[in-house]
Amino acid sequence: MQEPIYTIIRSLALFFLVWLSIRLIGKRNISRVKPFNFMSYIVLAVVATLMSLNLIDLISGFIVLLTWLVLPIALDFLSIKSEVVHQLINGKETVLIKHGKIMEENLIQVRMTGEDLLAELRSKNIFNLTDVEFAVMETNGEINAYLKSDKKPVSAHDLGKKLAPQAEPQTVIMDGNILIEPLFSLGLNQEWLNVELDKMGVALENVFLGQVDSSGDLFLDLFDDAVEIPQPKVKELLYASLQKVQADLSTFSLQTNNKNAKGMYIRNSQKLDNLLDKLRPYLLN
Amino acid sequence: MTVASQVKQTLASLKGARGTLSMYTAQTSVDETQSVYTNSLEIADNIINDLEDRLKALEFEEPQYEGN
Repeated sequence: MQEPIYTIIRSLALFFLVWLSIRLIGKRNISRVKPFNFMSYIVLAVVATLMSLNLIDLISGFIVLLTWLVLPIALDFLSIKSEVVHQLINGKETVLIKHGKIMEENLIQVRMTGEDLLAELRSKNIFNLTDVEFAVMETNGEINAYLKSDKKPVSAHDLGKKLAPQAEPQTVIMDGNILIEPLFSLGLNQEWLNVELDKMGVALENVFLGQVDSSGDLFLDLFDDAVEIPQPKVKELLYASLQKVQADLSTFSLQTNNKNAKGMYIRNSQKLDNLLDKLRPYLLN
Repeated sequence: MTVASQVKQTLASLKGARGTLSMYTAQTSVDETQSVYTNSLEIADNIINDLEDRLKALEFEEPQYEGN
């Protein structure tokens, strides 16, 4: 009758021990873990299992656990400090495609066939080998490809287009509750949020999610999807009203006979025109 | 509609736009955007001043329409 209770206690203790060990080894995505760390995970798991089943005695089990916990951490630190150790432990990345040509010897070295390489590239949405300028197999086995410059996705920079910088939006309402901290980090307060909600005619309880973007506009998602709420269009309206003022000024400049006034209207209309060009990326995006 | 009242209308909408712009200047959390907005506010202020001066001149010329 004693035996099962001991097993439970042992298992619980080991569960927390292994959990702690894994946390100590570090934060990594399990699918992208280096082979070396993967091995220490498996050893930790197997030894913990054997110990909780009482197949090996606790003392030697703990020694094994400790060794496989300390060694990876120590080697990780060493490999941060020294490039040689890093290469020794993790190996080196292998170049598979250079200047658009497949390096066959390297392909054999990492034991891949041409079909394997093509499949890997396809999983990265590259179907045409001629699009690839450079491809490399990382030490964790992942293949990364650099596309030829005319096959790369277009960026705003390529188009010569200026875009307004945008900081990350902050979530300020979740499940009908106001999140104070993100609101304060934007320099806003609950009073502001209440006013914005009133403006949209929405009660706080009905809001599932509310986000404030870096320009201070509030976007809401309601529990009731049938209710249509107006999305903020203030910036577009602002741009339009400035455009209207600009058009008015040029009309006035044509209508007036007073030379001074004509000059003033033309000058200001041009100023406003320049201003509109400058504000365009910020107000219309 | 007289010229003066047309200018008055334009002035009013420019002032409204300036108000919205200054609200965004206060709200935005990106420094670069903020400086662009501040700069725009100055330009808008200049234009508002010019228009106000013109309006005064117009009302002086056509005193019968003053206040319309």
